[in-house]
Amino acid sequence: MFGKYERLWGKPALRSSYDTVIIGGGLHGLATAYYLARDQGINDVTVIEKRYIGFGGAGRNTAIVRANQRTKENLPLYNEGLKLWPKLTDELDFNLMFFNCGNLNLAHSEAAIGALRLQVASAQFFGIKSELLDAKQCKELIPALDVSENITHPILGAMYHPPGGTIRHDAVVWGLAKEAAKKGVHIHQGTEVLGIDVDKGKVVAVETDKGPIRTARVLNAAGGYSPLIASMVGIRLPIEVLTIQAMVTEPIKPLLNHVVSSGTYHCYAHQSLKGEIVTGAHMDPWPNYTTQTTAHYIKHQAEALTELLPCLGGVKFMRIWGGLADMTPDMAPIIDGNDPIEGYYVDCGWGYFGFKSGPITGKYLAEFMATGHRPEILKPFRLRRYQENRLLGEIATPVNYGPWN
Amino acid sequence: MSLTITCPICGKRNGYEFRFGGEERGPRPDEEGLAPEAWCDYVHMRSNIGGIQEEWWYHLDGCGTWFRIWRDTRTNTEVNGPEKGTT
Repeated sequence: MFGKYERLWGKPALRSSYDTVIIGGGLHGLATAYYLARDQGINDVTVIEKRYIGFGGAGRNTAIVRANQRTKENLPLYNEGLKLWPKLTDELDFNLMFFNCGNLNLAHSEAAIGALRLQVASAQFFGIKSELLDAKQCKELIPALDVSENITHPILGAMYHPPGGTIRHDAVVWGLAKEAAKKGVHIHQGTEVLGIDVDKGKVVAVETDKGPIRTARVLNAAGGYSPLIASMVGIRLPIEVLTIQAMVTEPIKPLLNHVVSSGTYHCYAHQSLKGEIVTGAHMDPWPNYTTQTTAHYIKHQAEALTELLPCLGGVKFMRIWGGLADMTPDMAPIIDGNDPIEGYYVDCGWGYFGFKSGPITGKYLAEFMATGHRPEILKPFRLRRYQENRLLGEIATPVNYGPWN
Repeated sequence: MSLTITCPICGKRNGYEFRFGGEERGPRPDEEGLAPEAWCDYVHMRSNIGGIQEEWWYHLDGCGTWFRIWRDTRTNTEVNGPEKGTT
């Protein structure tokens, strides 16, 4: 059992040319590489990562998966993504520790109940299990929840989404890297992209600190850093990069058997299989690339959590970390390619919801990159939608989901 | 380490007293003959500089002044801009 393990992925030498170069060794980049090799027969692919794979958002999110979004464009994608996890566990031959505990989105006002009613109806239209609960039913699901009138924003009800849950995020990264590498994909960690060469409107090469790579296809999947990569080809993005913080408490006995979230309290939490309460906060209200953590949010989380779950009073926070969220004004991603530069693809703007959608996006993006034909499901996410004033309705109050929200 | 911001009236204060007002992107384009690309560029597109940028802030929990500062987005530190005080 404790024998010598093989490396999950090798350390091949950097070739001077690849068919496809993927910038960013996160979940989206690795998933795209994996599906290019698995479904499209393209394994002359390299994933270029500045630090190590899973260093960015892929390893910093709170590992929640769900398909309880609001719009007809987003729901089918996330729903298919959600159904993919159990299959991936088999396919990658890696324990992703999918915990199908269900998500509870709390409502603290009549208006919020109204909004959830629409969300539940949209989900049900697409055959996604989702239902509206009253406060008493919330209490039955999570006995530790305070549903009394005594908290700042009393709980009126919730949207319950049973198919959601949590997954071990590192395992997804490692599993995808392992299988992609097995199919011939080269993963180059500690390699920084310095520039992208474009000639006559076509991608011709990627410059890295380990040397240039000739290629005709490049994918910008750099997550929070994607605006910096896009600027290398002179493209500006409708994105605000905000640091978002998360933290875990010391392990305690099992008391929270669902993912619970509250927009009003700017707080979401679940209990990991180790017993820690994993909780996330709102984003910094100004753009930055720091990933700094602040006492401000520790205090905020402590206040919010002890109101919603009073039994957590006195429990200590153990760790805190920050990651980057690349927020678009309409809270929907930008998945595009060959526009305006041939061979330049982008998969970014995933904000704080890029984890749950990683593998499924990679699957469709691989099809897009291999054939040049945009799959129907990705069509709403073009960059030009901003120019055409066709912003998606993921938030009820457009137009700018930025630092000021 | 968190953000402090120097308000032209109140001086150096905790960043949470302020509201971010967006990166400096020049004057609003003339509506006469404005192309959708140019309007979109002004309304939605951002430079997202990983380094020192000029930006707007509003002293929400203070004197209510709108002003510009230069800030390093990699460290959250306010720095002296090349043209501070000249515009």
